[in-house]
Amino acid sequence: MSQDKLVIGGKALSSRIFIGTGLFPNPFVQKEAIRASGSEVLTFAIRRINLEATEDDSILQHLEEGSYTFLPNTSGARTADEAVRIARLARASGLSDWIKVEISANERTLLPDPIETLKATEILVKEGFTVLPYTSDDPILCKRLEEAGAAAVMPGAAPIGTGLGILNPYHIGLIVEEATVPIIVDAGLGSASDVAQAMELGVSGVLMNTPVAKAKDPAMMARAMKLAVEAGRLSYLSGRIAKKKYATASSGLEQFIVK
Amino acid sequence: MCNATMERDETAMTETVIVLGGGIIGLSCAFELQRRGHQVTVLETRRCGGQASGAAAGMLAPFSENVEGPDEFFRFCRESLRLYPDWQGVVRDVSGRDFEYTASGSLYVASHAADLLVLEGRLLWQREHGSSGRLVEGTELQSLEPMLSRHMLAGLYTPEESHVYAPDFVKALEQGCRRLGVHIHEELEQLELAEFEREVLVQAADGRMFSAGRLLVCSGAWAQELAVTLGIRIPIYPIRGQICAYRMEVHQPVRHMVFGPQGYLVAKANSTVVCGASEDVAGYDTTVTERGIERLRRWNRQLFPHLEHTEPFHRWAGLRPATQDGLPLIGKLASADRIVMAAGHYRNGILLSPATAMLAADIIEGKPYPAFNEAFKPERFGTAIGYY
Repeated sequence: MSQDKLVIGGKALSSRIFIGTGLFPNPFVQKEAIRASGSEVLTFAIRRINLEATEDDSILQHLEEGSYTFLPNTSGARTADEAVRIARLARASGLSDWIKVEISANERTLLPDPIETLKATEILVKEGFTVLPYTSDDPILCKRLEEAGAAAVMPGAAPIGTGLGILNPYHIGLIVEEATVPIIVDAGLGSASDVAQAMELGVSGVLMNTPVAKAKDPAMMARAMKLAVEAGRLSYLSGRIAKKKYATASSGLEQFIVK
Repeated sequence: MCNATMERDETAMTETVIVLGGGIIGLSCAFELQRRGHQVTVLETRRCGGQASGAAAGMLAPFSENVEGPDEFFRFCRESLRLYPDWQGVVRDVSGRDFEYTASGSLYVASHAADLLVLEGRLLWQREHGSSGRLVEGTELQSLEPMLSRHMLAGLYTPEESHVYAPDFVKALEQGCRRLGVHIHEELEQLELAEFEREVLVQAADGRMFSAGRLLVCSGAWAQELAVTLGIRIPIYPIRGQICAYRMEVHQPVRHMVFGPQGYLVAKANSTVVCGASEDVAGYDTTVTERGIERLRRWNRQLFPHLEHTEPFHRWAGLRPATQDGLPLIGKLASADRIVMAAGHYRNGILLSPATAMLAADIIEGKPYPAFNEAFKPERFGTAIGYY
C-alpha cells in the first residue's frame, strides 16, 4: 500500500481524504481533527478568506504548522463568471493554483449547476489552474469535465451537509469505470460506512467537512474516516467475492464424511 | 397559616447551593436561584468576571453567531435573547447600577458576490425563527452604516439583535447578587471538591470549608479540572480571545454591530469601538500578542477605512470555554445527584446567561424543561476512562 499514491496535477498524495475546514466548533477541535484525518489537502471557501492577508485569516492562521496542499473553493458562486473571478483572486493571493469549482444556483439544495461548472472548468484549465470541479453524479457530465481538462472530477454523493450517503452508487460506479482521471466523492457523506462504500466503488478519494466537523467528537470521527478510506481502498484493491444465492460451507463438507 | 407550617414549607423548598465560578454564568445562576428563595454561595478562585466575561464584547446576536441552521444551540440562543429585556431590567432594578443595553441591530457584511447566496440561505430559515432580517445594498447600506467601506457589496440587516456593555453588566450582576443575599467569596486560589455524595463540601486553598446541599459548576474553561473527581469526560478547552478598542469620533460613527467572516466591530455608549476577536489555541495563556491585535487592525480597516490611522487605546484578552462539539454542558449529573453543570458557553456566555440561569435553576428545583436542552447533557462525552 505504501506505493498506492493518489496523483493529482502532478502531486503525489499518501492520503485519500480531503477535509473541509469550515463548521468546526473551535480552532482547537479543528486542528485535532485535521491531524487525526491524516489529510494532506484542505479545502475552504475563498469568500470567507481574508485574501489581502492570508496569514491573518481566521481559519488559515491555525494551519501554518502542517504542510498542506490548499484546495480553495468557489462556493457561493452562481455563475461561471463569478467562479472564475473568485478563482483568480485566490491564485493572485498566492494561496494555491488548485481550485475546486463549486457553483450552485439554488440556496436550498446547493446542488451544482452543471452547465456553469463545465464552462468555468474550461476557462480555468486554459488559464493553467489545476481544476477539481464539484459536480452532480452524472456519468456523461463527469466525462465531459474530464475532457475539458479537469485534474480530478468530484461528483457529489448527496447534497452538501445532508449526510445522506451515496444516493446513486450505480452512477458513481459508472463514473469510475469511464474515468481516466481521479474521481473524488465530494459532499453528502455521513459516516464511515458511506466512506468505505465510496472507496469500494473504486473512487480515488473522498472530500468531506460536515460529518467530521459536526460529529460529537470530531477528532475521533476524523480518525474513523481515515480508517474507512483505508479499509475501503484495500477492499476495492483486493477484489471482493462474488455474491451467491445459497450458502457454501467455509470448512468444506468432505472432512465430515466418515470413510 | 401558622408559623410552624410556613417554616416547614420553606425548608422543603429551599436549597443551599454552592456555585463554582463567578463569571457571567455563575453570577446569573446565583442571581436567579437566590431570587427564587434559595441560599447561594459563589466561590471564585480569582475575581468575579475576570476571564471570558470581562473579555466579552457583549453581543446578543443569535442570528449572526449561528449561520448554519435552527439547531438546539440556536434555539437556546434565541430563547435567551427573548428573555433579555426583562432580565436586564431586573438586574438593573435589584443592583441599582446602570449599564449599557443597546438595541442597535446588526449588519453581517458581504464583500464578495459569492457571500450573497449564503446570506440568502440564512435568511430562509432565520425569517421563520424570529428574524425580520433582510439584505440591504447600495444607498440603504450606506445610510445605515455611513462609514462602511464602499467595497462592501451588501449586508444582512437583523434589527432584533442588541448588545450590552459586558464589564458593567457583570458588575451589576455581582452587586445584584450581593443585595439579594448571595455570599460571594473571591480570590480563593484553589478549590477542591472534598465531598459530593452525602453533602457538598468544597475546600479553599486557605483551608476554609464551604458546605451546601447542591453544587453548580460554572467554572468555564476550568471545569475540566473536575473530570477525574467526577469520573466523566469534560472536554472544555480554553480558547484565547484577543480584543481591542478604538476611541470613536462623533462624526465617524459605527451604528450597528458589524459582523464579517473575520470578526466583528461594535460601538459602545462610552464612545469606543470594540473589535474582536481572535480565537487562539494558547492554553491558559492570556497574553495579548502584537500579531493577534495587528490581525484585527488590518481587517478593521478593510471594513472601516477611517480606522486606518487610529491606534487602539485598549487591548485585552480572555479565555473562552470551548467544548468538543460546540455545545455547552448544562444539566444534572446522572452519576452524582447533587451536582449540576452549566459550563462551556464559548463565544456566547453573555447572550446565553439568562436562559442558562433559568434552565439551571429549573433543573435544581426538579422542574421539567424543554426537550431540546437534552442536547446539552453534561455526560454525553462518556466516562473519564473511556466510552461505554
